[in-house]
Amino acid sequence: MGDLLWLVPALPLAGATVMLFGGGRLGRAAGWIATALVAAAFALAVAILLDLLSMPAEARVLVDDVYEWMAAGAFSVDVAFRADPLSITMTLVVTGVGALIHLYAIGYMEHDPRVGRFFAYMNLFVFFMLVLVLADNYLLLYLGWEGVGLCSYLLIGFWFDRPSAASAAKKAFVTTRIGDAAMLLGIALIFITFGSLDFGEVLAPLGAADGATPSSGTFTVISLLLLAGAVGKSAQLPLHVWLPDAMEGPTPVSALIHAATMVTAGVYLVIRSHVLFELSGTALTVVLVVGLLGAIYAALASIGQFDIKRALAYSTMSQIGFMFFAVGMRFYEGAMLLLVCHAFYKALLFLTAGNVLHGLDDETDMRRMGGLRADMPISAVWFGIGALSLAGIPPLAGFFAKDEIVGFAATSGREIAWLLATVGAFMSALYISRPLFLAFFGRRRTERTAHEAPWLMQAPLALLALLTVGGGIVLGLQAEGGRLATFLEPVVGAAEHGEAFLSDAGLIAISVVLAVAAVAIAYWIWASGRVDWQAFPSRQPELAGWLSNAFYVNTLYAWLVQHPGKGFAHVLTSVDDRVIDGAVNEVAEDVGKASRIAPRIQRGFVRTYALGFLLGAVALLLFLGWRG
Amino acid sequence: MAVDTLVFWVFAPISVGSAIAMVIQRNAVHAALFLVVNFFTIAVFYLVLGAPFLFAVQVIVYAGAIMVLFLFVIMLLGVDRDEPLLERLKGQRVIGITLGVGIALELVVAIRAGIGFATTGPANFDEAVNGSGNAEALSAVLFRQYFFPFEVTSVLLIVAAIAVVVLASRQRRSITRAEAERLRGDAA
Amino acid sequence: MSTPVSYFLVVSAMLFAIGTVGVLVRRNALVIFMSVELQLNAVNLALVAFSRLHGNLNGQVLAFFSMVVAAAEVVVGLAIIVTVYRRRQSASVDDLTVLRG
Repeated sequence: MGDLLWLVPALPLAGATVMLFGGGRLGRAAGWIATALVAAAFALAVAILLDLLSMPAEARVLVDDVYEWMAAGAFSVDVAFRADPLSITMTLVVTGVGALIHLYAIGYMEHDPRVGRFFAYMNLFVFFMLVLVLADNYLLLYLGWEGVGLCSYLLIGFWFDRPSAASAAKKAFVTTRIGDAAMLLGIALIFITFGSLDFGEVLAPLGAADGATPSSGTFTVISLLLLAGAVGKSAQLPLHVWLPDAMEGPTPVSALIHAATMVTAGVYLVIRSHVLFELSGTALTVVLVVGLLGAIYAALASIGQFDIKRALAYSTMSQIGFMFFAVGMRFYEGAMLLLVCHAFYKALLFLTAGNVLHGLDDETDMRRMGGLRADMPISAVWFGIGALSLAGIPPLAGFFAKDEIVGFAATSGREIAWLLATVGAFMSALYISRPLFLAFFGRRRTERTAHEAPWLMQAPLALLALLTVGGGIVLGLQAEGGRLATFLEPVVGAAEHGEAFLSDAGLIAISVVLAVAAVAIAYWIWASGRVDWQAFPSRQPELAGWLSNAFYVNTLYAWLVQHPGKGFAHVLTSVDDRVIDGAVNEVAEDVGKASRIAPRIQRGFVRTYALGFLLGAVALLLFLGWRG
Repeated sequence: MAVDTLVFWVFAPISVGSAIAMVIQRNAVHAALFLVVNFFTIAVFYLVLGAPFLFAVQVIVYAGAIMVLFLFVIMLLGVDRDEPLLERLKGQRVIGITLGVGIALELVVAIRAGIGFATTGPANFDEAVNGSGNAEALSAVLFRQYFFPFEVTSVLLIVAAIAVVVLASRQRRSITRAEAERLRGDAA
Repeated sequence: MSTPVSYFLVVSAMLFAIGTVGVLVRRNALVIFMSVELQLNAVNLALVAFSRLHGNLNGQVLAFFSMVVAAAEVVVGLAIIVTVYRRRQSASVDDLTVLRG
């Protein structure tokens, strides 16, 4: 199957090409074609997975060298794809969840006149995402990396006639660019250090690199530059500001790109490069701190949001913070388990939010929802499953993933990290129960009657809900050592469990109790009707302001970047007006003056010109004769 | 004195004189007739220089066909009026004649520096080069060495013929902007 | 032939110069055209004289081509003069100053 690996990204690329050029004529069929191609890619990925599973655990690597991309001197990069347990896991998530979201989008985008273009971008995104995760070298990974950024830009700004969508798209593109630039520098440094960009050579076990091992300082710089790219793409502190605004895009886009797949690319990059991060040590600590701070920061910010999609966006950021936190503790299997499970339930949550938007004519403010479970009972079930999973209620997927990470923190010897992670987990349960109760429970705060989404949109949700319920048990049950963890072990190595200060049962009990408590508190505040939560902003304007504005980071950036930038632009404008334009205008005026003199010579008499001609001939002959 | 020298000294003054007369003659028809005289003298020079074929071509094509064409056009247009003597361009006549004399002198100096005033060509030119006949020898060179250029000239002649047809056909067409301005200027 | 070749060349130079002066001082387009023909013939004469000097026929062939081109040129040139005259009722080149600066 290894030589068919190239076909996995090629299928969605073919779809994107067809739909970009013929999308207008395909009409509704475009969605079905796009979905079918992504599903085909998923089927192919499953076949490759079975192929990998049939091999011995240590030899599970398939490399498909398609062609030499570029070569210059010692620098040579191939378009080569690599299937190993890590990348095939990502591929299955991207194609599997991607196919379900495509299917959902057929119904969701039904009334949009540019549906062909939408699916073209979606397929293009899947293509670039697959290039990203299947790449066998850093440059090809970077190509996919930039490609998903482009598709993210195109899809956030899909409704570009809305100024907010257009500027959100720009913001996402520019902000991630900052990280991307750092990442490109990191890749250049990798080439300088190792003389190659292939994963096989760069990430070979320590000591395999011939002779002198570069200093750990070099690894720290490389790792931090790569981390900057990961932070930008995964919307972590301090480059997270684009993610909430990115919710301007259509909801399937939010689910696919800004929850399930693209934003987790940063986690994938760090895990893929974990050898470099471990050699540095410092970099791993930075990852841990960034992740933990991001998780708590985003959890607080999410509690302050009333826009259902923005609340979910901050929740995504918080969850990815947990993934980074796990990576920072070298608990890569846990991070991947959370990544996969998060893809299931966050896609489910976003798509259910899409149902709500669909049913309420694009109303996103949760203050004007409430009690929707009467109108949309099925959607309420889906959202409930997703929210409880994220909250960490057993036996849903989120419980296994999050509980393992928090439990691992207890064994890592960093008690303060465990404490903060536990607080973060508690707040996760709180913030995700909030939209559940605000939107679906409590008093009705809208006159509109929502209509339930059609079966075409419910079917993929049912599958995602199934995955959310069963995914954790299948992939992460500790009793078997965690099926996903065992599968990933050849790539990322076994996690080193230390001694915990509490027994496993005690830790699990704390987790479950806190999660249930958080859900109960959330119900009491937002659904029971006994707490006047709507009065909170007026009673505590300071705190409410900090929370709803996500601690004014946007304002801070405006002061730091926007205003100096504008001042600089003003200076440049005046330079442009006076110096550059001045020079051009001066030249134009001089030419004009000169052209008022020229007509005195150019009088239009052919004989005068002939005279000049002869004068030249006589002078030339004279010159030639005089010279010799 | 050899015959050819005698011929030269008879025809050279006629040639130069007819040329000068053509230039100073105010009437176009008279100028054309002087040019015919000049072409005949050149034809004679060709004969002396061992080019009897070109002599014939010169007489038939130039003095015959081309000059008749000239005269035909002069008559057609009716421009056989005398040209006014007044020169509108200041200094044109003086500078023109000065430079004309200058280029003549320069060429003479160049001839003197190049081959001198006494060099004659090979004495046996007629036997060695023209062989059994000038026309035959010329055609041998023309059709062997210069065959491709010769064929190209046929294209040139066809293009010229088409061009004349295009130019000569009277067609209604819009006037140019310059002409429009001129008309407006005349009206004002 | 005992006449030095350079004599013919001198005559050729004089005819060329006279033709040049004719182009410069005359105003009638037809006469200017005739002066150009005179210049062409002066050059042809020089070519034939060089042919004699070098003892081969290349010069004559070149003169022959020159005549063909001159014939084509005369035909087109006269057609242009006729066309211009039709539009402007004048054959004086001093009246054609549309391209002045």
